[in-house]
Amino acid sequence: MRRLAGLLFILASAAFSIAALSFGPTPNSRLLPRPQIASEQNLAVVVNLSNPVENLSMPELRRIFLGERSHWPNGRRITLVMMEPGQPERAVVLRDICQMNETDFNNHFLHGVFTGEVLVSPKTLATPVGVRKFVFNVPGAIGYLRVSDLDPTVKAVRIDERGPEDKGYRLHVPPRTAK
Amino acid sequence: MKFSSPSPIRVRLALKLNRRIIVWRIFPLLLGILVNATILRAQQPVDAAAADKQTLQHLLQRIDQLEARVKQLEAAKQQAAAPVSFPSPPVQVSAPPVSETELQTDNAVPERMDVSKTLLRMRGFGDITLHGDNQRHDTTAFSLGQLNLFITSDISEKFKFLSEIVFEGGPDNIYGETRGENNTFGVDVERMVLQYSHSDYFKFAVGRYHTAIGYYNTAYHHSTWFQTTTGRPFLFQFEDRGGILPIHTVGASVSGLIPSGHLGLHYVAEVGNGRASRSPITEEPVQNVVDDQNHKAFNLALFARPDAVRGLQVGFSAYRDLLAPVNLPRIGETILAAHAVLVRSKFEWLNEALIVRHAPNGVPRVFNTPGFYTQVSKQFGSYRPYFRYQYVNAPGTEPVFPDVGLRQGPSFGLRYDASETVAVKLQYDYTALRGQPAVNALALQVGFTF
Repeated sequence: MRRLAGLLFILASAAFSIAALSFGPTPNSRLLPRPQIASEQNLAVVVNLSNPVENLSMPELRRIFLGERSHWPNGRRITLVMMEPGQPERAVVLRDICQMNETDFNNHFLHGVFTGEVLVSPKTLATPVGVRKFVFNVPGAIGYLRVSDLDPTVKAVRIDERGPEDKGYRLHVPPRTAK
Repeated sequence: MKFSSPSPIRVRLALKLNRRIIVWRIFPLLLGILVNATILRAQQPVDAAAADKQTLQHLLQRIDQLEARVKQLEAAKQQAAAPVSFPSPPVQVSAPPVSETELQTDNAVPERMDVSKTLLRMRGFGDITLHGDNQRHDTTAFSLGQLNLFITSDISEKFKFLSEIVFEGGPDNIYGETRGENNTFGVDVERMVLQYSHSDYFKFAVGRYHTAIGYYNTAYHHSTWFQTTTGRPFLFQFEDRGGILPIHTVGASVSGLIPSGHLGLHYVAEVGNGRASRSPITEEPVQNVVDDQNHKAFNLALFARPDAVRGLQVGFSAYRDLLAPVNLPRIGETILAAHAVLVRSKFEWLNEALIVRHAPNGVPRVFNTPGFYTQVSKQFGSYRPYFRYQYVNAPGTEPVFPDVGLRQGPSFGLRYDASETVAVKLQYDYTALRGQPAVNALALQVGFTF
């Protein structure tokens, strides 16, 4: 009888948990595009020119940036490039794509590497120029750049069928502050 | 003697140089060397002059070589700079891309093993606990926990090595029987896995790994710092700490995604030596080198991580082995497990239930050992209060682990993250046992990673 009660408790708790979540805001509603402030720039997600991927959905992008996908469809290993902590571009990616703060992001990768589910930790670079060069040179790389930092050596992928110059694009980054 | 050809990255860096730089930077350097050589000539023996002259000649030859190389690179740069416009369709740049390894390590010979560099990455985990309880003969004590050296190595783009080497003190406890001394340390290779990652849909691993039974066993491994609580649930306790499951297996496994869209289905299939079954049972429970029989243990796990509920994972696993204890009939072992967990950065809810079924050949009776635990916690700033209730009930006549019996009860605790890498936990456990007084235990633990 106790066993049965215990099992029922587990099932009930799991059901309650799922039900409670289903009444909350749905993931899609959380990911609705935030209205762009006039001074903001769009943040492009960039890949190597040889990468055949042209479009990624936001859930796919999230899985890639969390290391839950380790290979591109062409078999290349995904190499994630992040800018250093404190950079506004990184903050946008953590907030809008990963939906995590800095500590959670680091713990996520530490845990992922520990369990073996994540193959490699992200490569961290200091400048947009460094990101651009890295993505240009590494066939499986994916990173992010302000639209103003784009050049023809990298390819900007569309997110949910919207390019970084399209209306309704989701990723916006505040303007650079002069130092 | 072999000379390595310059790597593409070095080539690109060299592209930034031009002949003028070489002329304006190298020539003054050479002039300085010449002047110094002239001054020093008066102070040095005559036979040193011949050596200086030889050096200068060598340097001049080197400049000629560099100038020729710059010319060659400038020509290559002009060819490589193909015009591409954004957002027009991408155009391939003819410059050959370099591999990840080459760019990250700036290694001139990426395909060859560089014996001067280590490929190892290491991370450590450890914990120290002050604990006490009301059991007879138990004393309140500070205890060194597991010192875990987690080592990984990217052997190549497809191959990766992973291991956990654990230094651990205290006696072993195997199904309730203890062996070894109280205060000596031992070393265990808890995980040693070579992984081959072909794609997200097919990954192959071989070595000693944690069996994919349920969720907890492959989520936390040997790090208490990752765990919310001070220890593992009794169900998933290690074999040498009184646990009842084959936590480790030596063998091979395949795993990966199942194309299932937003459902996020994954599979794991394992084959290995299984647990040792010969008497006495206090022998090493993991068959690291020799299997006591030809029969192999199998495990199949399926789980889903649906997009709709971030952090949710539900799944089940089925494990099958055949144990062959000495002087006893063979025992068929089946372990069925199911789990539903919700893990987010600020909230976790773990629920797992399983049943261990032992069926001795030629005996009509089957011995079932059910167990479950539920654990919930929520983060408030640096504090995370948690609660766990666990239950295991092994029959008194269980042929494999007769000393386990019934144990159940709640645990309450508070985890405080003193920094990003140090956690302090205070936990109270109440454990009811069959035919024995209940145990009240209190533990204060500091767990860390380094």
